[in-house]
Amino acid sequence: MNHVLNITANNTPAVVERLLQVTRYRGYELAGLQLAPRADSRSLNITLTVSGDKPIHLLTSQLHKLYDIQQLELVSAELAVLSA
Amino acid sequence: MKGAELVLQVLQQHGVETIFGYPGGAIMPIYDALYQSTVKHYLCRHEQGGAFSAIGFARASGKVGVCMATSGPGATNLITSLADAMLDSVPVVAITGQVPQAVMGSDAFQEIDVLGLSLAVTKHSFMVRSVEELEATLNQAFAIAKSGRPGPVLVDIPKDVQLAEIDYQPLASHTQKAVSVPTSLANAAKARALIAAAKKPMAYIGGGVHMAGAMPQLQQFLADNPMPSVTTLKAMGSVAKDNTHYMGMLGMHGTQAANLAVQQCDLLICLGARFDDRVTGNLQKFAPHAKVIHVDIDPAEINKVRFADAALLGDMKQILPAISASTNCDEWLAHCATLKQQHGWRYDHPGERIYAPLMLKQLSERMPDNSVVCCDVGQHQMWVAQHMRFSSPRNHLSSGGLGTMGFGLPAAIGAKLARPQDTVITVSGDGSFMMNVQELATIKRFRLPVKIVIVDNQRLGMVKQWQQLFFNERYSETDLSDNPDFVALAAAFAIPGHCITRKDEVEGALEAMFTWPGPYLLHVCIDDKDNVWPLVPPGAANEDMMTEAKA
Repeated sequence: MNHVLNITANNTPAVVERLLQVTRYRGYELAGLQLAPRADSRSLNITLTVSGDKPIHLLTSQLHKLYDIQQLELVSAELAVLSA
Repeated sequence: MKGAELVLQVLQQHGVETIFGYPGGAIMPIYDALYQSTVKHYLCRHEQGGAFSAIGFARASGKVGVCMATSGPGATNLITSLADAMLDSVPVVAITGQVPQAVMGSDAFQEIDVLGLSLAVTKHSFMVRSVEELEATLNQAFAIAKSGRPGPVLVDIPKDVQLAEIDYQPLASHTQKAVSVPTSLANAAKARALIAAAKKPMAYIGGGVHMAGAMPQLQQFLADNPMPSVTTLKAMGSVAKDNTHYMGMLGMHGTQAANLAVQQCDLLICLGARFDDRVTGNLQKFAPHAKVIHVDIDPAEINKVRFADAALLGDMKQILPAISASTNCDEWLAHCATLKQQHGWRYDHPGERIYAPLMLKQLSERMPDNSVVCCDVGQHQMWVAQHMRFSSPRNHLSSGGLGTMGFGLPAAIGAKLARPQDTVITVSGDGSFMMNVQELATIKRFRLPVKIVIVDNQRLGMVKQWQQLFFNERYSETDLSDNPDFVALAAAFAIPGHCITRKDEVEGALEAMFTWPGPYLLHVCIDDKDNVWPLVPPGAANEDMMTEAKA
């Protein structure tokens, strides 16, 4: 099942590696990645699509801990279930 | 001033007086600044040892530990220790030199991508690109290392940044504000209701309690809500010694009473612990009748491996009083007391040879109050957890999550420097001891009165035990019977020592070790057939413990 995450992150050199490292280590596959600097170039807008059989909260809770992640929003269908 | 001098200024502002490290080309400017600094540097003999000393310092004191290394091999040698700090949530700041930015990315001499290597083993890591950002980065590193769930932070500083000039005025007062931990008590009422309704409550205590500074709140909680308690390896010493309902460590080598009671309880109150696989055994069969209250500072631990009926996130000091409810479980307390009585340790070991559990019990009874015991990894580590008692988790330093052999000796160096007034003892095995044996040179150089007890079965004992039980007695590469003469080895570092082989020698040998004013090595030879019991075999539920009689 694919999950789409909208992420705002500090535009630091290793931030994308950090996202991908956590995604791989926690057992999810990368299914898509888009990123663009915001107007001030200090932040990045990232859309990360991952697939995996495990509940997605196991990934989002770990990604939230990354120091360079400012905001993380799950935009797939599971959102309603998670926030309930 | 130069960036290198600024580094030491900022360290001092954070109260750092002790650092562990090893110099090299890319960190020479910082070592040059150190030459005239009041910060005391302790030269390790391998960067892994230096970083373990920083961990020992941090764990024994509650402060941030600091270590330094040069680029390339210096930095890669830190990796194992950073991983250890990561898995045991230890606040450490590691500073590495890096080749000058002009040659970065060119495979320069002693250049390696340390930032890339750090991703899996640190809470966060920085590469400093200019001297102007150096102060703020170091401040952030300290803040991250000790905030929330603590952990290691690495700061990689290229040589040109260390050499760059900056006009720097230290702020008059730079005391760090204590950051309040966001705490949600939204589920406190639910937790209180669960506790009030429970007939068989059980407190499952992890390292997060003492790291939150919540030891007094824990004792109060257990006094106000009498219930049995168990601890993880990292939390040994959390429950006051006079608490009669404490049942010991749970898990793979936990006490039978602790494991049986946890399997039978109807409410498990998990405080600053994470349902590690060495704790739960077969997860599906772990505490099968229990509802769970989970209190932690790290949201990612909630529902990670075990569903929590009520979860509370944040500051343990605030949460424990908020979930206090009156328990009424006298029958359960009596039942648990019976379990403890039925499954007490036995020390009636036949023969003349030294029985490690008994020797460690004698050591525990004889060591001065508030002694710090630093373990390595393996059979001796589990015997220490089973047979020694501690008055605080800061007195029992054991590599839990990563299970890193070679931890004990350097960790003891750090502990001794953090708490010079307290006795510090390394209990190691003949396998583990050799993994950072070079740190004997650090003990020699600084005349550190660390007591070293080597429990020697001439085997890589824990692996041998598993080979015996689960691999048809095929003892692949676990025979260490050609060990060096450990007493002679210590003598080469001007450390006196003594070797014992018989039970009746133990008391006198311990007396001699504690009476000697300096470092001392006690080599304790034991039978290679002695194993660690009980043991929950892989895949089994925690009530299915193997004992010596059954094996």
